[in-house]
Amino acid sequence: MNTSTVKIRPRLVALIALLAALPVHGQDSSDVLSLQQAREAGRKDSRFLRPDGTAPADPKKIPKANLGDYKKSLYPILQKSCLGCHGPDRTEGRLRVDQLDPNLLTGQHVNQWKEIYNALGNSEMPPADETEYRLADQDRGLLVEWVGAELEKAYHVRKGGQDYSAFRRMTRYEYNYALQDLLGIPFDVVERLPPESMSDDGFLNRSELLQMSAMQFETSREIGLRTLQRVTVHGDPPKPVVYKFAFQGEMTRLTSAANAKVFNVRDDNYKQARNTPHFLNHTSGQAIHYSGGNFKPDPKAIVGEVHSDSPIAISLPPGRELKFNLDRFLPDEGVMRVRIRAARSNMNPQHFANLRLIFSAHTSNNANFSQVISQRDLPVTAPMEAPEYIDFLIPLGDIQRNPFRKLETTFPRRDEFLHIQNISNGNRGPEPLGVLIDHIEVSAPFYASWPPQSHREIFFDSANKGDEIGYAAEVLKVFMARAWRRTVTESEVAKFVELFKEFRSDFETFEETMQEVLATVIASPDFLYLTQTMNGGREGKERISDMEFATRLSFFLWASIPDVELLGAAYQGDLRKPEVLKSQIARMLNDPRANRFAEHFVGQWLGLDGLDSTTHVRDAVLLAAMQQEPVAFFKEVLVGNESVMDFIHSDYVVVNERLAGHYRVGEVYGPHFRRVSVAETVNRGGMLTQAGMLAMNSDGTDSHPLKRGIWMLERVLHDPPPPPPPNVPEVDLTDPRILQMTLKERIEDHRNKPACKSCHSKIDPWGIAFENYDALGAFRTQLKNGPVDANAELFNKQPLHGMTGLKRYLLLERQDQFARAIVEKMTTYAIGRSLSFSDNADINKIVVQFRRQEDRLGDLIQIIAQSEIFNSR
Amino acid sequence: MSDKNNKPSRRQFLQGTGIALSLPWLETFASADKASEETPRRFLSVYHPDGVGLPLRNDPAWKDWSWFPRGGERNFELTKVLDVLEPLRNDITIYSGLSHPAVRQVHGHSNADQYLTGAATGGHGAYQNSISLDQVYANHIGEKTRHASLVMSTNGGVGGPRGAQTQSFNAEGRPIPAMNRPKQIFDMLFVASGEKAAAKLARSKSSLDLLIEHTRSLGRRLSAKDQQTMQEYLDAVRDTEVKLAKAQRWIDTPVPTVDTSNLNLDADPKEARMYFQTMYELIYLSYLSDSTRAVTFQLGRENGEGPHDLLSKAVGLGGAHGLTHAVKRPDGWKNLGTYNRYQAMEFGRFVQKLKDTKEPNGDGTMLDNTFAMHGSASSSFHLSRNYPIISAGGKNIGFDNGRYLKFGSGNEDNQAGAGIDTDAGWRGKLEAEELPLAKLFVTVLQRLGVETDAFAGYSGTLERV
Repeated sequence: MNTSTVKIRPRLVALIALLAALPVHGQDSSDVLSLQQAREAGRKDSRFLRPDGTAPADPKKIPKANLGDYKKSLYPILQKSCLGCHGPDRTEGRLRVDQLDPNLLTGQHVNQWKEIYNALGNSEMPPADETEYRLADQDRGLLVEWVGAELEKAYHVRKGGQDYSAFRRMTRYEYNYALQDLLGIPFDVVERLPPESMSDDGFLNRSELLQMSAMQFETSREIGLRTLQRVTVHGDPPKPVVYKFAFQGEMTRLTSAANAKVFNVRDDNYKQARNTPHFLNHTSGQAIHYSGGNFKPDPKAIVGEVHSDSPIAISLPPGRELKFNLDRFLPDEGVMRVRIRAARSNMNPQHFANLRLIFSAHTSNNANFSQVISQRDLPVTAPMEAPEYIDFLIPLGDIQRNPFRKLETTFPRRDEFLHIQNISNGNRGPEPLGVLIDHIEVSAPFYASWPPQSHREIFFDSANKGDEIGYAAEVLKVFMARAWRRTVTESEVAKFVELFKEFRSDFETFEETMQEVLATVIASPDFLYLTQTMNGGREGKERISDMEFATRLSFFLWASIPDVELLGAAYQGDLRKPEVLKSQIARMLNDPRANRFAEHFVGQWLGLDGLDSTTHVRDAVLLAAMQQEPVAFFKEVLVGNESVMDFIHSDYVVVNERLAGHYRVGEVYGPHFRRVSVAETVNRGGMLTQAGMLAMNSDGTDSHPLKRGIWMLERVLHDPPPPPPPNVPEVDLTDPRILQMTLKERIEDHRNKPACKSCHSKIDPWGIAFENYDALGAFRTQLKNGPVDANAELFNKQPLHGMTGLKRYLLLERQDQFARAIVEKMTTYAIGRSLSFSDNADINKIVVQFRRQEDRLGDLIQIIAQSEIFNSR
Repeated sequence: MSDKNNKPSRRQFLQGTGIALSLPWLETFASADKASEETPRRFLSVYHPDGVGLPLRNDPAWKDWSWFPRGGERNFELTKVLDVLEPLRNDITIYSGLSHPAVRQVHGHSNADQYLTGAATGGHGAYQNSISLDQVYANHIGEKTRHASLVMSTNGGVGGPRGAQTQSFNAEGRPIPAMNRPKQIFDMLFVASGEKAAAKLARSKSSLDLLIEHTRSLGRRLSAKDQQTMQEYLDAVRDTEVKLAKAQRWIDTPVPTVDTSNLNLDADPKEARMYFQTMYELIYLSYLSDSTRAVTFQLGRENGEGPHDLLSKAVGLGGAHGLTHAVKRPDGWKNLGTYNRYQAMEFGRFVQKLKDTKEPNGDGTMLDNTFAMHGSASSSFHLSRNYPIISAGGKNIGFDNGRYLKFGSGNEDNQAGAGIDTDAGWRGKLEAEELPLAKLFVTVLQRLGVETDAFAGYSGTLERV
């Protein structure tokens, strides 16, 4: 089957005539558009881009109740089959069908209709033994379809008819980032907070779902205090435990042992020997196998002491590890720094080498554990001549420790192990890439300075330091303004100074007392909530203040509180001047914190958490790549300020080596993501063909057209199908008739059931067009029992021939819908609340401007930031 | 009720739509458990490592020293291992054919961790546990007593991952340290706490007062709608204040005075009998004074060694763990059975004591309002299947005792994995079908008054219990 061509519908012929002037590449038939041509043609058709400049008709009308059909065809059925028991003569279950208001959108009887919908969908009613009231399948289908459609409309009307406020608390992940940014701590702190509930379209930051409970409040307060205790200090610097690996001594000890198996890099068999970790003397070429051993603290060692050059290194081949027994001397708390000096054995650009740390203990036989403790793998990039230091910072209080380390007896075992792994693709080709390590230092607790930077940010130098109460007020004023993202009044500060005075006698030091007071500052709603006060004292939509705007913007792009520069611009009153705003947004998007926007927006928009619960992607590296690709692709489009139509189809992919292998795209090396142009024959481009989407919308063994269709409607087109009726019959896989069917036939068979048909005809075709992609998202043309059939027909008779046909159709006919969908998704994420009908006009304005600016993703952020809706309470 | 409960998608559809919920089954929930709300319901789990003796049928030791009873549901016969419980036969239930599916092929040494949690704790690599049964109950009822739960073990602390020395894990799956010194437990339960706790409470109170006052002034500058959101925050702070006030009340309430004549607070595991009896006495006193209603007690740790492995000295035998390895030596099955018999006897002594004590605040005896279980996460040698479990009591909350309940199929005579003393057992394939132990936990939780239909990912209760 040729999935790359499709006959187009007659009404487009005229359009093609217009396009005749355009060159047609790679097509052998004049009635077929390339995807690029489809994109251009579809754009010309946009209702948002009318040349006369008129605003388009509101594409999302407020739904109306379908009372005509009810009177004409549905009520008569109800009358015949239901009124006998639920009418004027008998009112079983206190239900009178003849008195129900058929308008579900405004009427009083939605709950009753819901019960009726369930009873009919389950075939519980009419009762099987009441033969005189029997309901024909076709009539049941009509009823279920009508009630289902009306319930769905009622849901939208009642949801969209409400007004939502953007006033909300931070989400769990925002609270994490806010504490990190406020207190200067790079580690996650919110493990104990409960997860958020997700809105029905997948977002976690919806104001109406972000509740506050006593448990939530208490836990936040404890986390705040504990984090403050971690970032501030008192007293003298603690003496660190320092391990410094004695390369020279260890190698000498090994090579001078009685049966030492010493070899030399110049030996012929070094080609085999080098695949195992070994000591290596660069000068003499002498080498001996070594994969780790005991590593004791050195009481005389000084943290960070400059390494004196020595010819001894350890060569760590690709995929191998060194395992050191650190015994039981690491402290309970504080940061452990693992400093490794390393270089690459060659500079082959096709090879990469990363270091990863593992921590483990083996307390008795069959009672062991190990965990990755490095937050991410760190690359080794330096050449042999100039090795470089690589530092890992690990919070010892947060990782799994050996709980027996303080025993006085030797069983269970008390020691702890540090593993250094070389994660690499460097074992291919004639010359493997090894990592050469010539310095290893472990120290804890590690402080880059004393007191640490995070401490000095809070307890800054001041002439008032001698006057505790005066200094407390000074510290509080600065801290409160930063945490609360606004100016604070003297009386607000004074209340907290009172608290300080009250607490002071409970503690020995000023700092410990202040930790408790500052913990109260960040338990306040001014910190925990994205506030929006009434400046003019008026209700209703109103412009938020400049400072509140700064907070909203930073939660949009950084998922956290604004920094001092952004707050400063807001304080000056400049932030919303177009040129200032533009440059601030550009600055924010350039900041590493903007990765949080890409990660959380894309994750929630596309439902990437679905990948966490798939079990069939067994290759952890592939799974991680699947999770990262959509985010990396989004960043590529964002940074290049390219059209969001690239999400439908692009002539490039953004992949790393593992994913490139999966997609059969060559010449991509290393774990980082980069843009790679791909030919049409690769069958990739855009997000519909990303392996993660395809894998998470599979059922573990095969593709799942229904899930893919629903995902397409919900996430891409923002046109979610109604939920299934209750007790949908499962496809019976013990039925021999069904077992013989192909997947597509099974779906069709299921779809023909009266209670299922109306919805499925709107969902399934979308998913069937994805059939050329299997459960791991690999492209296929053959199934076990024949060729793949990815031909589908939409409910409007539009044929979709496979993925290319689907993309072509979307580009020709659905650009406006997709543009509006992404505007709505991003706006709702940006303001953290649901949209209501009264937002329609604002949204339309954004879409018009967005489409005029060629659907550019970077521009969309600017447009949203300047929109009414983003600037209003 | 449970049928509709399984349909989150339907409820999600309604959530937040503004369409009011009409959920008739909620009312069913509310009315079901009205009776005797004032009477405390108690939970106890005693865990012993190393499993029990399970000789093959053709082994001469089978007749006397195979742990599981013989016969039917009511007319079961106890072997010598459990015959000490004969006087209590109408107060106990013995179970077979239950285990946690996630770890059926994990070595028994790694297994104490998941007996009350059902988590897939595995045998190596990264480790994650989940909440234990007692803590689910403690979270539900803990507000009513001075201590939400009492967590005890002979070894104390948390142990290591896959080498737990506690049976209790919190909602994040973190181990809760167990107490092991009788004196320390007694002081916690019955000696007043110091000034430090009071000072901390006072600080919290001042903080919360300040936050409430501050939030009120902030609230005045919010729209009417946003004030409702702010109210939720205020409610959360006030609820926290109520909690603090409660904690303050416990500080102010005199600790209960108890009869200490059966206590030897210096008892040490080395004097196994005295230690066992003192620990059980502490559980009894904590119940009697209604200091807590959820207790766990772990005897030793899997893969023993060290002084705490010497509990079997109580019956004149060497290291308890070693007994399981020595079953093929002369008297091996008998020795293991004798130690298991001793464990059952001490449990029985405790059960008898509850049975002999009238419920201070309700009908019947204390036993009638207590569900006490005793078991291990392995049956025979390192085999993480067919857990040997005894439960006692709970008559007033719906437990019908005097029964031997066999679950699953293919192992009616408890011979699957019997007679082994090598690792071939736990590595072996699953020969019999067993039911998830979590289903019993759901039954227990519901009868304790917790509204839940699932535990560790398994929904539904265990039939016939």
